[in-house]
Amino acid sequence: MKKIDLELAVGIFLLIGILSIGYLSVKLGHLDLTGKRGYTIHAEFEKAGGIKPGAVVEIAGVEVGSIKNIRLNNNAALIELTLDDTVKIHDDAIASIKTKGLIGEKFIQITPGGSENILPTGGKIRDTESAVDIEELISKFVFGKV
Amino acid sequence: MIKSKLSLALLALIAVFSLAWLPLRADAGEPTNQVKETVDAVMNILNDKELRKPEKQKERRTLIRQTIIKRFDFEEMAKRSLAAHWKDRTPAEQKEFVALYSDLLENTYIRKIERYENEKVVYYDEKLDGDYAVVKTKIIKKEGISIPVEYRILRKKDKWEVYDIIIEGISLVNNYRTQFTQIIRSGSYNDLVKRLREKVIK
Repeated sequence: MKKIDLELAVGIFLLIGILSIGYLSVKLGHLDLTGKRGYTIHAEFEKAGGIKPGAVVEIAGVEVGSIKNIRLNNNAALIELTLDDTVKIHDDAIASIKTKGLIGEKFIQITPGGSENILPTGGKIRDTESAVDIEELISKFVFGKV
Repeated sequence: MIKSKLSLALLALIAVFSLAWLPLRADAGEPTNQVKETVDAVMNILNDKELRKPEKQKERRTLIRQTIIKRFDFEEMAKRSLAAHWKDRTPAEQKEFVALYSDLLENTYIRKIERYENEKVVYYDEKLDGDYAVVKTKIIKKEGISIPVEYRILRKKDKWEVYDIIIEGISLVNNYRTQFTQIIRSGSYNDLVKRLREKVIK
């Protein structure tokens, strides 16, 4: 009788342990299990410049979403963004890929527009600025002057 | 009997699709052509030896301005640069702002363009998306350096008008949008107008 109680206690303890580990990995890995939070829009960039899924989307330095997916479309980078429901993007907004500091991580900055149309779910930000390739710019200065 | 009906239906379907396809095909390349027309016209003015004489400087500038105005939609550019603050302005203020903004662009860019000579322009890509299009070009300088210049254009009736230029990956409208928003936020719209005026008079 007592032996069964002990086994039960160990079993419950283990179960709690596994659940905690599951919770931790979902939290730390920024996994979105429900998939309900936010809505998706697209933006097409000429160069993604090494930006990765999960990177932050900012407006005025405030985090408003993240990158869900990046794929190649007609030799351009099509980036899928998940934005918070409270954030409304006008269709003349400009999305730029920026770098934190000189060599920091990449993120997407949206400069809000002012047109009458708000982008619907699945809409596309038409105006984008690709990542500025600093090496390319430097090489133009270094080798440019003949 | 059934077979002939089926092939008839198929034929009709093909006819409909090819008809729908036609206007699209006729459109392809039109944005590039219109941008090219303007760029070539400006290049011709710049390369004109007669106009390069110092006494003709004013005439040359006017000619360049007239050519550019035909293709660039300064109102749209001004509107996009002011972004959210455009709506808060009265029509009279908007009109004044567009005038100031055009002068600003003219002072900043026409003077830069004037110095160019013997540059070649290559048109390498065009993207069409409804009433919007992107024309990608490269300016090849004498020393062989190439500068990527992208024109964002919008169709207004039959005419394609430029509403943003992206040079070396940097958008002109975004540059001004960031600055204008900052000035308005830290001061007021009137501060912005005052600063623009000072800049234009210089």
